[in-house]
Amino acid sequence: MEKEKLKIGIYELTGCAGDALLILDCEEELINIFKAADIESFLMAKSDNVDGELDVALVEGSVTTEKEREIILDIRQRSKIVVAIGICSCFGGIQAAFLEEKDWKENFKEVYGATKMTHIQPLQSKPIDEYIKVDYYLPGCPIGKEQFLSTFTHILAGNPPDLYRFPVCVECKWNENDCLLNKDIFCLGPLTLAGCNSVCINYNLPCVGCWGPSEDGNRTSEFSLLLEKGFDHELIKQKMANFSGTRFSEFLATLKGAKK
Amino acid sequence: MKKIAIEHLARVEGNGGVTATIDGRLVTDVKFFVNEGPRLVERLVLGKTPEEDVNLVPRICAICSVSHKYAAIRALENALGVKVSAKVTLLRELMLLGEMIESHSLHVYFLALPDYLGFPSAVAMASKYSFETKIALEMKQFGNHIMKTVSGRFIHGENPVIGGFGKYPSRKEFVWIRNRAIQFMPFALKTAKLFAEVNYPNCPEAGTIFSCLNPDQEKFGFVGDEILLSTGEKISVKDYRDLTNEFLVSHSTCKRSHYKGKPYSVGALARINNLGERLEAEAGKMYKKYFNSHWKKNPLYNNAAQGLEILYSFERIPQVIDELLKLPDPPLVKYTKKEGKGAGAVEAPRGTLFDCYEVSGGRIAFADIVTPTAQNAEDIERYCYLAAQKLLEEGQEDKVKERMDLVVRSFDPCISCSVHMVQVKKATEEDWKEKLASLIKSESVVFVGLGKENHGDDGAGRELALRLREQGVKDVWLEEEIEDSFWEKNFPQPLIFIDAVCFGENPGKIALLPLQYVLWNSVSSHRLSLFLRNSLNYDQINNSFVLGIQPGLIEEGKGISRSVSQALQKILDEIKNYD
Repeated sequence: MEKEKLKIGIYELTGCAGDALLILDCEEELINIFKAADIESFLMAKSDNVDGELDVALVEGSVTTEKEREIILDIRQRSKIVVAIGICSCFGGIQAAFLEEKDWKENFKEVYGATKMTHIQPLQSKPIDEYIKVDYYLPGCPIGKEQFLSTFTHILAGNPPDLYRFPVCVECKWNENDCLLNKDIFCLGPLTLAGCNSVCINYNLPCVGCWGPSEDGNRTSEFSLLLEKGFDHELIKQKMANFSGTRFSEFLATLKGAKK
Repeated sequence: MKKIAIEHLARVEGNGGVTATIDGRLVTDVKFFVNEGPRLVERLVLGKTPEEDVNLVPRICAICSVSHKYAAIRALENALGVKVSAKVTLLRELMLLGEMIESHSLHVYFLALPDYLGFPSAVAMASKYSFETKIALEMKQFGNHIMKTVSGRFIHGENPVIGGFGKYPSRKEFVWIRNRAIQFMPFALKTAKLFAEVNYPNCPEAGTIFSCLNPDQEKFGFVGDEILLSTGEKISVKDYRDLTNEFLVSHSTCKRSHYKGKPYSVGALARINNLGERLEAEAGKMYKKYFNSHWKKNPLYNNAAQGLEILYSFERIPQVIDELLKLPDPPLVKYTKKEGKGAGAVEAPRGTLFDCYEVSGGRIAFADIVTPTAQNAEDIERYCYLAAQKLLEEGQEDKVKERMDLVVRSFDPCISCSVHMVQVKKATEEDWKEKLASLIKSESVVFVGLGKENHGDDGAGRELALRLREQGVKDVWLEEEIEDSFWEKNFPQPLIFIDAVCFGENPGKIALLPLQYVLWNSVSSHRLSLFLRNSLNYDQINNSFVLGIQPGLIEEGKGISRSVSQALQKILDEIKNYD
């Protein structure tokens, strides 16, 4: 007898929709994804969406409105496993640039002025784990196809996903690239989580840090290395904070000598 | 109150929707809103280096990430005086052609076609149209492949940078893309034909202003330094603010634009309207065969325009690659300027995208990004209204939601650009009361009574105004008292025009409508339309209302009918309550 298919929901909160789009971009595999599981809800791909009990919820985007806060709480309640997909959902993303509430409020006022919003109640952008327990994190901006397919199939098989914890430099070495730091080009590879197959460096361009901070390795030493190369302390922090938003301050706290 | 909600407009990119409120045979309110949370992108790039800005702004929208990158690069290169060689420009064109193919084929085949064939999703459609779905998917995949080859990734590739590219595709990669594009030609032709021949409903139809970039040398294309309007006017990209005039509405996170007080449209349909004559070869032949007056006024034809642009893109790719193959790979252009201001624009799949920056001390000091959906928002709302109102007049209320869905989707709104949703609400008898109460309570209003005495119910507006005056209401005017001095006052507060308006309802029916709806010519009040044209500015029109009463008999020498008199009393009692 055929095994009962897992019920999956794919949701988009605030972001660029790049992670949902990347799933759509898995063209050849997409039909199989739709066959292997019951895709109960996937707004970008279909109209007949049902929001019921789920085995797995994949959530993209950060929480930036009161409604989204309610949505994420509801998703958690009806899902056995919640996977944060993409850097916005995992770490807050680019829109989490204003870490201090005061900063965020000031900037919000600069953009929207005195217009009172009647349709939404805006909140300072936060990753979803500020509100709910997240089972797995699949970072990236956007997520990588190979990593997504691997994670998806692991979960379908009932196993935890096998994600990288090491920095981009490891993949970069696998790709036998020349180290850009040796050419005095400011590359964030040593501090950034792998998973992108070192794509930027493969194109002779420095890593921009879009996978967020790496979890393994000697981060303090990597940070010092960048300082020794003569790169500006503030600029390193600024560039790292571009994508990893909320998580960056926590990451920074683990770095000795990085705080002023 | 009946509200048709297309909340979570499925199968559009992002998070927004449309709500329409229906009162009998009248649409009393339509709102296109974006629920996307605020991201403050133009603020968070301040203080960053130009290179970081080029990394960050494409994250506004994944589906247009190549356009966002390209527009930012164009603006910053203008600001910093960076001049790139022909190979760079051609390769940037190639990546944009890839994005057009990817975005348009995703939209026409997977988001729009299921509507016209009656399937809930492309996946459901795939079982019956497996061949078309398969080739369409390959076409989209090919667009993705071009973007990946040129930019480095399907989405948010970082290879295009200020001054050129980190790496150039190999000759082998170019040749592969060229040959594959030629192989796709029969299907590209089929696609253009298929979407030009779809039986699009004739509603809504109404003219608009089309705006797009004007490519050099009288060519068709997606990049230019000048804006071309369907009125024949031209505006330099650096003066883009003369076109876009952004403003905010309280029901949406997405800013709005209007040109000289009128909504305008951007996107494939705008480009085909303004530049279609320039199409050559097969795309040119298709244009001549299919372009007709509907394309000028019916937004649903945007799908047909996208089909034509898919064909154009496939014809253009081999030309671009033949040129690219002749040119050597240029090194990255280095620049030293740390100060400057510049604007740049590209045609994203869904319309013109403007970026403008000021750089000071090597850091971004000012950023302004005007997205296509922000420019289309007003027309999306207007066409939804026109479609809903026409269907109600024809007694087809059941089709309202579905049709509005088609209209919104035809604009291919990229909601991350700032949109998922259509709601239809049914207004109760009391709806106008609530609206009137909130207006009067929140600020002072000016009442203007229209109509002639002794003309039966035509005098309803005048009569009500007189009685309001008797009740001691301030700021009440009669039609015969309105002279230039009235308009010169430029009232900042809402104007409420009281008039007998034919809604096709029973005599005495009351409705409070945004003034705009009457000016859009859907509800008949010729008196008011003639009276108002050109006298009010855009903000005033947006902030004014018509308190309409359905007349019974309009005949010279007659008084006001009983049912209309009762309606007037109801309004008077209501206003009395607010004091």
